[in-house]
Amino acid sequence: MHELLILTPFILTLLFSLATVPLLVWMERRIAALIQDRYGPNRCHVGGIRLAGIIQSIADMMKLVFKEEVAPSHIKNRFYYLVAPSLIFIASFLTFMVIPYADNLELNGTSYVMQALPTDLGILWFIAFAGLSVYGIIIGGWASHSKYAILGSLRASAQVISYEVSMGLAIVSLLLTYNSIHLNDIVTYQSQTFFGFIPAWGIIMQPLATLIFVITSFAETNRAPFDAAEGESEIVAGYHTEYGAMKFGLFFVAEYIAMAASGALMVTLFFGGYQLPWLTTQDLITHFDILSGVIIGFGLIFMFLFLRWMRRNNSYNEKSKRETKIYAVTIVLFSLSLFSLIAYSIYAGYSDDQKHIGVMLIQFSIFAAKIFTLHFIYIWVRWTFPRFRYDQTQKLGWNILLPLAILNIVITAIVIIGVN
Amino acid sequence: MGVKVVHRHGDTLKEKMYLPAIFAGMKVTLSHFTKNISNINDMQDVCYPEQMPSDITPRYRGVHRLTKRADDSIACVACFMCATACPAECINIVATLREDNIDEKMPQKFEIDLLECIFCGYCVEACPCDAIRMDSGIFSIIERERKDFIYDKEKLLSIKGAFGSENSHAK
Repeated sequence: MHELLILTPFILTLLFSLATVPLLVWMERRIAALIQDRYGPNRCHVGGIRLAGIIQSIADMMKLVFKEEVAPSHIKNRFYYLVAPSLIFIASFLTFMVIPYADNLELNGTSYVMQALPTDLGILWFIAFAGLSVYGIIIGGWASHSKYAILGSLRASAQVISYEVSMGLAIVSLLLTYNSIHLNDIVTYQSQTFFGFIPAWGIIMQPLATLIFVITSFAETNRAPFDAAEGESEIVAGYHTEYGAMKFGLFFVAEYIAMAASGALMVTLFFGGYQLPWLTTQDLITHFDILSGVIIGFGLIFMFLFLRWMRRNNSYNEKSKRETKIYAVTIVLFSLSLFSLIAYSIYAGYSDDQKHIGVMLIQFSIFAAKIFTLHFIYIWVRWTFPRFRYDQTQKLGWNILLPLAILNIVITAIVIIGVN
Repeated sequence: MGVKVVHRHGDTLKEKMYLPAIFAGMKVTLSHFTKNISNINDMQDVCYPEQMPSDITPRYRGVHRLTKRADDSIACVACFMCATACPAECINIVATLREDNIDEKMPQKFEIDLLECIFCGYCVEACPCDAIRMDSGIFSIIERERKDFIYDKEKLLSIKGAFGSENSHAK
C-alpha cells in the first residue's frame, strides 16, 4: 500500500500525459468535425466496436510506431536531428511532474504528496521546462537543414521567447496573491472563500492574469491561433517538415502533452485545482457519506442520460445497433456494480483510511474533469480562429500583453498593500 | 462619378479590444457543436464511400469519354486539337485513314493518361466535333497498376454519358 501510494502520482502523470494523447487526438478530430458539421473518424473498428472512433487514433499511433525510419540524406548532424524530438518530448513530459492531483494524503501518520516530484520548486519547474521545450524545436529546425524547417523553428522560438515574458509577469502577480510557489499551497489557498460565498479561485482573484496566462500558454504550446510555426500554407509543416515516422510522432505527441501540461497548470492556478468550490478537503472527508450518496445519484442520472443519447445518436449503420447494445450492457453492469459497492460501503460504514482514499479518488476525478474541460476549450479555440500572422503575434505579445501584465502586477501590489 | 467611401472596420474600442469578436466567434462554433452532438442524425453530410454524392451536374468534369455518331461510329476525326490544347500533354493520338467513307480521318490510337490529366476540360472545349466529353459523372478512378490509368480508345468509347441517352451522341 505504501509503495502504491508513492507511485500513484507517477502513474497519474503517465495517464494524464501519455495515455491521454490518443484520446486528445480523437477529441480534436471529432470536435473539429462536429464544429464543421461533419462526422469525423467513425469507421475504424475492432470486431464491430468503434468506441466512437477512438480505435482510429490507436491505429494511427500504431502506424507511426511501425513505420520505416527514414532520414533524409542531406542531414549532416544526425545526432541533433535525432535528439531534437526526444528533447521536446522529455521537456513537455517533465512539465507535468509538479502538478498536484489531490491534496496531501494523511494515512497512519504519514503524509503522501500527490505530485510526481515532491520538490519545492513548484511553478518554477514548470516555467523552466516549458521554456526548455523550445530548444527541441530550434535544434530540430536547424538540424533538418531545410528552409522551411529553419523558418518554422525561428518563428516558434521567437514566439515562445516573447510570450514567456508576459507569462512570467502574469505568474508574478499570481505569486503576489497566493504568497507561495508551491502548487499545492496555491490550490489550498483557492479552497477559501471571500465575502463568504465567492470561491477564491484564481480566475476571480486575478481575471487579467488569467486572460494573459491563457493567451500566452496557447502561444507557448504553439497551438492555434498561434501556430504560425507550422503554417502549412507557407512553410509546409514548419520545424518537423523533414521528420517522418515516430520522430514526427514524438513532435506530435509532445505538442499534445504540452497542451495537457499547460491545461493542468491552468486548472491548478486558476480553476481551483482538484478542489470543488466552497468545499475544502476536510469538508469532503467529514461529509463523505453524503458525498457518496450524491455520487450514486448523479451517476445514475448521468448513466440514463448517456444511454438515451447513445441510442439516438449511435446510428451509423445497421451494425451499430448491436454495438450500442454491447456498450449499454457494459456501462450498466460496470456502473451498477460500482454504485452497489459504494452503497454497501455507506451501509457498512467507512473507516477513516477509506474516507481519506475515497476523497483522494474524488479529487483525481475532479482534476480530470477540469483538465478535460480545458482541453475542450483548447480544441474549441483552435477550430474557431484563423492563424495570426507573424507580425500580429509579436505585436500582441510585446505591445499589448506585456504592458497589461506589468499593469496587473502594479494593481495587485497596490491591492495587497491596501488590504494588509 | 462619385467616390464611394468604404467603411473600414476595426476602429471602435469594442473592435480594438478583440475579445468581444473572439467570444462571438466561439459562440458560433459552439452552437454548431451542441446542435450536432445533441442530434447527429440531422447533420447534412454524406458518408462518402457508402453514400455517393447526388449533386453531380452535367457540367461536372469527370472521366473523359469519346462520343459516337448517330450510326454508332466514332465521332473523333483525329484533328489533334485536344492534344494541342492539353496543358498536361496527356493525350496521345495516332491518326489513320478512315475506310468507311463517313469521314476522312479517325484515330488509330487515342490514349489519355489519367495520372497526368488535370481535368481542366480544355480538350472538351477545343474539340470541333463534340467527340470528347467529360460528362461521364465518374469522379473516382481506381486501377491496380499505373499502366491501367492510361485509358485507350476502346475504354474511352465504352464509357457512357451519365446524363441521359438523348445527350450521349455527338452533335
